[in-house]
Amino acid sequence: MFRFQSLDDDCTLEEEEGLVEEEDEIDQFNDDTFGAGAIDDDWQEEHTRLAELDERVRDVLPGAGDSDTSHGGSNAHSSVLPPPSSSSRLYPDIDERGGGDLAESLTRLILGSDPAIAGVGSTSSDRSHLPPMLSAHPPHPSALAGPSSLLRSYQQHQQFLHRGPAPLSQINSHSIWENSMGFSPVSVNSGLIGQKEDKTLLSIIKEVGLPNRPPSLSRDEGRDLSERVPPPRSSSPVIGSPPVRAVPIGTPPKQPMSQILNQQNNHPSAIHVRASVPMRFPPPFPERLSPNNLLSIAKSPLSHSPFPAGVNPVLSQIQRAQLLNSQVGQFQRGPAPPLLQGGVGGFRPFFGQSGPRIGPHGPPLGHAPIRHNTTHLHPQHRRMLSQRMQNRGDHVGGRGVGERKNRDPYSNLMTQREKEWVAKIQMMQLQSTDPYLDDYYYQNYYEKMEKRQERDRDNRKEHTTKLITPQVAKLEHTYRPVQFAGSLGKLTVSSVNNPRKMIDAVVTSRSDDEEKREKQVWNKRRQILYTVEKMYSLLLEVQDFEKKFLQTPEHQRDVLLEQHKTHTLQLYNSLREKEWDDRVSDEQCLMIMSVRKGKRLISRLLPFLPQPQAAAVVMGIARNLPALAKKDKQDQVLCWLVEPVSVVIQSMSSTSLTDLLQELQGSEGQLPLVLQNKFGVTLLYLILSEGERMQSSDPNCQLMDDNRWTELVFSVTRELLKVPSSALSSPLFTPPNLVSLFSRYVDRQRLELLQEKLQITALSR
Amino acid sequence: MNYMPGTASLIEDIDKKHLVLLRDGRTLIGILRSIDQFANLVLHQTVERIHVGKKFGDIPRGIFVVRGENVVLLGEVDLDKECDQILQRVSIEEILEEQRTEQQAKQESERLKLQAVKERGLSIPKADTLDDF
Repeated sequence: MFRFQSLDDDCTLEEEEGLVEEEDEIDQFNDDTFGAGAIDDDWQEEHTRLAELDERVRDVLPGAGDSDTSHGGSNAHSSVLPPPSSSSRLYPDIDERGGGDLAESLTRLILGSDPAIAGVGSTSSDRSHLPPMLSAHPPHPSALAGPSSLLRSYQQHQQFLHRGPAPLSQINSHSIWENSMGFSPVSVNSGLIGQKEDKTLLSIIKEVGLPNRPPSLSRDEGRDLSERVPPPRSSSPVIGSPPVRAVPIGTPPKQPMSQILNQQNNHPSAIHVRASVPMRFPPPFPERLSPNNLLSIAKSPLSHSPFPAGVNPVLSQIQRAQLLNSQVGQFQRGPAPPLLQGGVGGFRPFFGQSGPRIGPHGPPLGHAPIRHNTTHLHPQHRRMLSQRMQNRGDHVGGRGVGERKNRDPYSNLMTQREKEWVAKIQMMQLQSTDPYLDDYYYQNYYEKMEKRQERDRDNRKEHTTKLITPQVAKLEHTYRPVQFAGSLGKLTVSSVNNPRKMIDAVVTSRSDDEEKREKQVWNKRRQILYTVEKMYSLLLEVQDFEKKFLQTPEHQRDVLLEQHKTHTLQLYNSLREKEWDDRVSDEQCLMIMSVRKGKRLISRLLPFLPQPQAAAVVMGIARNLPALAKKDKQDQVLCWLVEPVSVVIQSMSSTSLTDLLQELQGSEGQLPLVLQNKFGVTLLYLILSEGERMQSSDPNCQLMDDNRWTELVFSVTRELLKVPSSALSSPLFTPPNLVSLFSRYVDRQRLELLQEKLQITALSR
Repeated sequence: MNYMPGTASLIEDIDKKHLVLLRDGRTLIGILRSIDQFANLVLHQTVERIHVGKKFGDIPRGIFVVRGENVVLLGEVDLDKECDQILQRVSIEEILEEQRTEQQAKQESERLKLQAVKERGLSIPKADTLDDF
């Protein structure tokens, strides 16, 4: 048996006193390790006192046996204990002093806080039992058993007096924990016990810890099993761990947040645990909210549930079990079918009972609807919801109030609070820092719906509401291992939130020079893809710019604009030559365009580039068209480029157009190759048609200023006539004004030939 | 009150009779009493319904606590429509017997199939997962 005397003298109390000012975790360490409890006074003194107590009780006990029965029945929760009258002398002060304040706290908190406490007798009678309860059990020789039995009786006494925070004045000033916030249970205990004389009891409790409430308690109370607290964990300290809770995390809250402290006080076994209650009341949505926090927020402005905190079902648990057993019992007993039928049939009434009771079974809709955190919803959505709720309310109301009488005795097993709790957990998952990223489809859907509604009833002045989503700030929870000054290395305390760090990996980023060197080593294609990917991310930023622009407030728009410009510039820079500003790097362009994704990228990119740069890109394409055409044989995706390119061409000036045509023709033999490719032909036609449009629309156009254009067109026509029909691929579309173009430059005969070849008529598209 | 606007939630389904299909193929019918964030269910006055062909039989089971991950789907039972059923209700023994014969028949056909396949020199890998039924 563990005996006090066996404690070494070197686990001195002086040492522990010195640690008072340090973190509570260290204290806990000491508690676990040394088990002496941080008490000020000499344990030896205490021990002697306790031993005396023991002996006194032992003397008194024989005379107390007959008073068992008389006291046994007086209280539902009491276990039978002999109340030796002599030991009431031991704690006379409790009776007197405890009287006044205790009465107050009792009346304030007795049943409201914990419906689990069924029927506590009158407080005065309780208190008269106090001293006897506090006294010892049947005697045990060992000194420790003495305190433990004291504890047991104390703990039973606790059952009667589940009370909230005792008046502060009663806190044992000598208690080492009086300063720490977490040890509210301690303060309670001290308050209850009284003053300095009961340091002994208190210290013993602190040192040994109180076990759970006896199971007899929980059996009698229906569903309040969630109140049951797990045994005090001898867990490693809370460094890095989530705060150890009195009630495990998965348990739905039984009581409103404001009374969680009470709850904790009701469970003295939390004493060993640093119950750091997350009692922070955050400003609306500053960070990730736990379900309990959400609940507390939601509850404060809300109309509270119409049902009291714990709606007990009509039947007690035992009765319910009996009912069910009878049903099941019938089944088990009867091998013959008729009995079974009866048994099974017996079930029917239950189902039948719940039959007519259709409709929502939440809080009756007569009360004000509980408004949850719907601010993150689209206002349109919120409107719809309220409408839906109304409809449902009408619908249910129409069925008649009589149905509402709960014929189902088992309804509302799940309290309103629990339902809210589950809902809150699920809603928590909806919090997001970037709604457009996380919930793109939802946002877009509601925007479209809004626009549609606006269109439908545009005469009505319904102002378009903007979606205001709460931006939950992303918090970085980086784990920093605890370090003590002067210690070697880091503390390896791993928990769920910070698993053990095995490797100290350091990220090294490579500089540009190194990248160039390694370019040759790498797989070329991979490099291309990498470049394309980088450009894509920039492109996406640029594309999303408009949306973001609309969202940001006025003063931040300039910054966003700047950002946008730099992005676009960056995009272009990645394409162009290193030295020349206006030429697109052939090598780079070729590289990118050789990949299908790259071509797509360019086609998406072109609309965003400013005109000169876009023109440069198109020039580059034209220049390298044969090579591109060759590479494109498999993919055939160059045609994606037609649309953006046509846009660019239409905005080009005449000189640049001429240049473009020249580039397209380029070196000898390029044009036939161009003509072989669908895109090439289309491009050519586009250029020609643009030129024609320019000429016909604007008489002053500079196209004819130098002979370049004319010469170029001549060469084109020559080529077109020369090339066999088979080598000429059909374009994506044929601009209609080509005929007029050619008619300017060629004679009738050739024109007809051309027409035939190209199958262009005046009416063709 | 729609607790979970825009999303699916079981909160409104509480205290209503539901039909739950489990991953192992069982069909449970009971009144949904309680849920949690993992969609673990507490079913009250649960009945396991075995369907064979056009017949079905009920085995009363009492209270069921079902782990959420094992639920395939669940839906509310319309009590009005439940009365007019096309299926024929039989006793439990009968339905269990039917089930047994059905199982046997299925196994037999499987065996034959496997044999035929083997004869032709092919091999079909057996699906071992519980979800495959």
